[in-house]
Amino acid sequence: MDSLVMANLSQRPVRTIISAVGVALGIVLVILMVGLSHGMLQEQGRRNSNVGAEILFTRPNNYGPGTSSVLSLPVQYAPEISKVSGVQAVSPIGQYLKPSNQSFGMEMVEGVDIESYQKVTNLSISEGKNLTTDDEVIIDPVYSRDKKVKVGDSIDLFGHKFYVSGIYQPEIGARMKIKLSMMQNLLGSKDRCSFVFVKCKPKYSQEQVAENILTALPDNKVLFTREIQELYEKGLPVVNVFVKAVVVVSIIISVLVIMLAMYTTIIERTREIGVLKSLGASKQFIVFEIEKEALLISVLGTLLGYLVAITGRWLIIKNTSLIIELEPKWLFYAALVGILSGLLGALYPALRVANQDPVKALSYE
Amino acid sequence: MNKMKTILQTIDLKMIYQIGKIPVNALRGVNLTVNEGEFVAIMGPSGCGKSTMLHILGGMLKPSSGSVLIDGQDLSKMSDSSRTELRRQKIGFVFQKFNLFPTLTAEGNIRLAERIRANGNHKNEGERRTEILRLLNLEGRLNHKPLELSGGEQQRVAIARALVGHPAIVLADEPTGNLDSENSQVVLKMLQELNKKFGQTIIMITHSPEAAGITQRIVQMRDGQIVK
Ligand SMILES: Nc1ncnc2c1ncn2[C@@H]1O[C@H](COP(=O)(O)OP(=O)(O)O)[C@@H](O)[C@H]1O
Ligand SMILES: [Mg+2]
Repeated sequence: MDSLVMANLSQRPVRTIISAVGVALGIVLVILMVGLSHGMLQEQGRRNSNVGAEILFTRPNNYGPGTSSVLSLPVQYAPEISKVSGVQAVSPIGQYLKPSNQSFGMEMVEGVDIESYQKVTNLSISEGKNLTTDDEVIIDPVYSRDKKVKVGDSIDLFGHKFYVSGIYQPEIGARMKIKLSMMQNLLGSKDRCSFVFVKCKPKYSQEQVAENILTALPDNKVLFTREIQELYEKGLPVVNVFVKAVVVVSIIISVLVIMLAMYTTIIERTREIGVLKSLGASKQFIVFEIEKEALLISVLGTLLGYLVAITGRWLIIKNTSLIIELEPKWLFYAALVGILSGLLGALYPALRVANQDPVKALSYE
Repeated sequence: MNKMKTILQTIDLKMIYQIGKIPVNALRGVNLTVNEGEFVAIMGPSGCGKSTMLHILGGMLKPSSGSVLIDGQDLSKMSDSSRTELRRQKIGFVFQKFNLFPTLTAEGNIRLAERIRANGNHKNEGERRTEILRLLNLEGRLNHKPLELSGGEQQRVAIARALVGHPAIVLADEPTGNLDSENSQVVLKMLQELNKKFGQTIIMITHSPEAAGITQRIVQMRDGQIVK
């Protein structure tokens, strides 16, 4: 064995493990956060494409359901849209994303005008009664099962107690629905909603109706519900920014951890570097040896990260209502993040010692 | 002996260290010529510039002025990386403190040197290595790490390492300075044998007249200059 790299790694197991854990942290962060945001999006997309309504009408800066937590669209648009030719029914919806009461994550609540909502969707009540009073909430079977909530139980929303009046089917939009007027009151957004669902008359093409709507109400935005799923899968701008931020944070963590680890051990080994130089080792040789060490730590960290991320995902899915996608593409990117940042982190300490004065290095105690 | 070949020559070599604003004249014009196959001892009081000179001869330091010719090449005009390259090909260092890699075995230390000296080219050093190890009496100790070896054994491993890749010159800075007299004698005997058997050129700094006594020539330094 002539490898200083292996010798150094096994000589200092604690340092090796701590550095690998640092890299693993970045890997886990990337895999879980990206998986989580993509998983939630796909789930959202699926649930939103389940609606009977064909068209979703909203403001131009709104990318679709679940992306805004303020009610910004005046409900006055609804009657205007219903006058457009080819429109059979309309219903204004308020959506609000709030931190979950019980588990880590976000939960969506919808405010609906239940009479018109049932005209644009195929929602029906499968158990209990429909939404009638301001203090009632209807939930879907998944929520009922996951959160162990039955008809007659109460749920706290916006600091207000709501009673579950019934369970609805199929899974559409948010899992909890309250009256829109109540949501407007609680959020202080009188006469506002997030978007309007539009159901087309038979024999009218969706494209035609959409065009009619935009002609009547220009400078707005329409989405086809059949495309929402795809839209979500492509990733929304907000989410893409989030993903980028996660990747950048992971890179920074890994770079710093490796840099620190390499820096301290290299300083300890200053004298050894001097000896390498006395033997005629070039700067490239020294940088290469140090990078090899960093590479090994990064690979170790990446594998550890995979292990933790996969176990973590399993535990999270088992214990919460969160959905985490495990995409091969992102497993690959995560490894790339871990390994590249390892190499990058080692570069500065490596260059620094490689350029050191050999005589001074030799006299280092 | 056939015709003497000059392997090393310094011309008016000067070295001035700068400590803050104060210049320290470590070498004040050293002229030294060493022939191939010579075993030279450098002696002189502490601080007279011996180590500084040895470092310059090995290309570890750039002199302030003057020149150093190693095998005809002028070190003092070279870039840092060319000096490193020359050191890789022509110089073997032996230090007072052995300076073995503590995490590697004796064999690992020697193989690492082989890897550096081969610089990517695969040379079979096997035969020469066996011969050297036999001469240094290290064959049984190769799987031990430095801390498991005696000082004498460590220094012998360090010598074996310095010899990897046929250096033209071995530069030894007080190689017996950290050894008891018994181990010193063994190491000195081996250096002498290397010089005789392989014709290895050796320049050795020493404080001990006994060590200097085994060499063919003693160079005395005082205050940055050669006096004899
Ligand atoms: N890196 C340095 N910086 C400043 N002065 C130095 C340095 N190295 C050596 N010196 C000085 O140069 C002189 C010669 O030192 P050195 O070559 O180590 O002598 P020797 O090996 O003969 O004891 C001494 O005065 C020493 O203090
Ligand atoms: Mg000295």
